[in-house]
Amino acid sequence: MRIQDIRNMFPALTASVYGKPLVYFDNAATSQRLDSVVRKMEDLAFWKNANIHRAVHSLASAATEEYESARDAVREYINAASREEIVFTSGTTDSINLVAFSFGESFVKEGDEIVVTEEEHHSNIVPWQMLCQRKGAVLKVLEVDDQGHLKTEDLRSLVTGKTKLVAVTHISNVLGIINPVKEIVNICHSMGCPVLVDGAQGIVHESVDVQDLGCDFYAFSGHKIYAATGTGVLYGKKEWLDKMVPYQGGGEMISTVRFSGTTYAPLPGKFEAGTRNINSIPTLKPAMDFLKLLRDKELQKETAAVRDFLLQALLSHERVRLYGVPRGTEAKIPLFSFTVDGAHHEDLALILDKMGIAVRSGQMCAEPLMDRYGVTGMVRVSLAPYNTMEEAEKFVGSLDKAISMLI
Amino acid sequence: MSTLEEAKKAVVEEFSMYDEWLDKYEYLIDLGKNLEPYPEEEKTEDKLIKGCQSRVWLDSRFEDGKIYFKADSDAIITKGIISLLIWVYSGREPKEIAEDDFGFISEIGLKENLSPTRANGLVSMIERIKELAKEKAATLDDNVLTAEDAKALAPLYDNVVLALKQVYDPEIPVNIYDLGLIYELIINKRHETYIKMTFTAPTCPMADEVLADVKKSVSDVPGIKACEVELTFDPPWDQSMLSEEARIDLGMD
Repeated sequence: MRIQDIRNMFPALTASVYGKPLVYFDNAATSQRLDSVVRKMEDLAFWKNANIHRAVHSLASAATEEYESARDAVREYINAASREEIVFTSGTTDSINLVAFSFGESFVKEGDEIVVTEEEHHSNIVPWQMLCQRKGAVLKVLEVDDQGHLKTEDLRSLVTGKTKLVAVTHISNVLGIINPVKEIVNICHSMGCPVLVDGAQGIVHESVDVQDLGCDFYAFSGHKIYAATGTGVLYGKKEWLDKMVPYQGGGEMISTVRFSGTTYAPLPGKFEAGTRNINSIPTLKPAMDFLKLLRDKELQKETAAVRDFLLQALLSHERVRLYGVPRGTEAKIPLFSFTVDGAHHEDLALILDKMGIAVRSGQMCAEPLMDRYGVTGMVRVSLAPYNTMEEAEKFVGSLDKAISMLI
Repeated sequence: MSTLEEAKKAVVEEFSMYDEWLDKYEYLIDLGKNLEPYPEEEKTEDKLIKGCQSRVWLDSRFEDGKIYFKADSDAIITKGIISLLIWVYSGREPKEIAEDDFGFISEIGLKENLSPTRANGLVSMIERIKELAKEKAATLDDNVLTAEDAKALAPLYDNVVLALKQVYDPEIPVNIYDLGLIYELIINKRHETYIKMTFTAPTCPMADEVLADVKKSVSDVPGIKACEVELTFDPPWDQSMLSEEARIDLGMD
C-alpha cells in the first residue's frame, strides 16, 4: 500500500484554499475524516437511529449492535483484557475528567499527591489541579529536559507513599517524542502507584497494547484517529473501575432506582450515563480497521521517509529551533514544533495559510511547556499517513519563502 | 488631516491594489517594520492585550479634545495592522471613534481572513480602542456623570429646589414645587439648569410672570450658571400631583 491509496480514502484532501491545493499539516489538532467514517455516520443517522440498550424493537437492536461492536473493535485493537474495561466518552478530555473525579472521590484525600509532567496538554493538568483543590491534595511535576525527554529517573524520588496517581502523556502534542510509558509504569507500580496515560497522540502513532504497557488507564479521542468528533475512549483496569464511584448519574448507569437508594449498573454502563453519542461512537470501528491498515510495511517505509526528511530539514535549518529532538528517528512521530529566530509564530502560520498550508501556531494548549522553553508560542506541523513527500517539500520551500518575507 | 471617512476610504483603496494575499502581507509587513517604536520600558502589564497568538500593547493619551494611540506587537503582520489602525483612528475625537463600526477592517478582508482565532490580539485591540474612546467620550458627554460630578451636583439640586419653593402662582397659596408643576429638573456638569414645567390650566393668566420668576429665582442660586425653562401641558396637571404638604395646606386631607 502507498500513501496515495490512503489519500484516496479522504475526500477533504482534494480541497483547495486560496486557489491552492490544501496541504493539511494540523493533524495533531484533528485529523481529516475517513470516507468510511462519514458513510457510517450517515447510515446511522438515516437508517439506524434509535436509542440503544433499552427498547425491544429492531431499530434499537441494530443501533445497539453498532455501538457495542465498536466496543469490541476498540477492545481488540488496544488488547484490553475485557470489553467491560472500555468506557465510551466524548473524548480524551472527558476520559481524564472522569478519572480525576471518580478515582479522586474514591481514593484521594487531603495531603495525598498526584504527579503530572511538564509536557502535558492542559487537559491532563487542569482536571488534576481541580481534584487537588477539591481534596487538599498536592500536584507534583516531573520535569522535561532541554531536548524534550522526560526525566523519567526522577520519578523514583518524586513518587512517594502519598502519591495516589501518576498522569503522563504517551506522546506530547508539542514535542512528538514517544515517552517510555512501559518503563514509567514499571517504576510507578514498583512503588504501588497507578498510572494514567493520555493517549490522545499515542493512539494515532503507536500500536497500543494496554496489557503490554501495563498502564491502569489509557485515554484517547476518536477525532484524531479519523473517526467522528465527540467520540472518545477510557480504558481502565477492571479492578480500578469496579472500585470507583460513578462520574455522572442518570439513565443507563443504574441497576435499580428507589428513593431509598440506587444500585449502579455493572461495567461499563456504570460510567455511561444518559444517551451517548450513539450516531458517532460506532465510527470508532471503521477507524480501528483503518489503523490496522497502517501497519503495512511498504506504507510505513514511505511515511517514515517523509518524517525523516522533515526532521532533517528542520534540524539543519540555521534559523529554526526544533523542540523535541529525538535520540533516534524512531522515537519521533511526524510532529514538529519549532520557533524561527526573528519571525513570530503567528506571522509564519498566517503566511503559510495563504500558501495553502495549514499549520498550527501558538501555545498548543501547553502553556507550562512554553514557559519551560521560554517562548510565547511555536509553529507546529503534524502529519498523517496521507501526507506526501511532495507536500513536505512544498512546506520546506514555503517556510523559507515565509521567513524571507518576514526578515 | 483627512476625515475619518476619507482615511478609511484611502486604506480600502490601497488594499484593493493588491490581488494576491501575499502582496497584502508584504505591504503590512512593511508598515509594521516602519511603525513608530514603542519604548520597551512602557510595555507594562496594564497595556498588554494578551491573545492566544500575538501580544499587543496599546496606550492612549488625550490632548486638545483628541485621543492619540500608540501600540506595538511581537508579530509583524499584526504590527502592520496596528499601523493602519493608528493612521486611521489616532488624533480623532473620542466620540467619532466610539461611534465608528470599524467595518473597513472586514472590507479589506482582514477580520475574516486574518483573525479566525479567538482571543486574537488584533480583535482585542480593536475592542480596546473602542473601549478607550467610549470611556473618554463618556467623560466628555454632559449627560454622563462621574462619581465626583454627582457629589458636586447634589447640593446644587437641593438649593435649586429651595429656590423653586419660593415661587408662587399668585392665585394659589402653595408654591409651584409642592403644587407639582415641575416635571423635570436637570443640572448638567457645567451647572446649567434645565426645567420642564406646567401650569394647573393652559389658560393661566399669570403664566409669563411665573416663568420669569422661576428663571430668576433659579439663576440666583449660587453656582448655577444658566437656567432654561420649557413649558409643557403633556401630561396635563391634575390634583394627584400635589405634594403631601400641599394637600394639608389646601385642607384636602
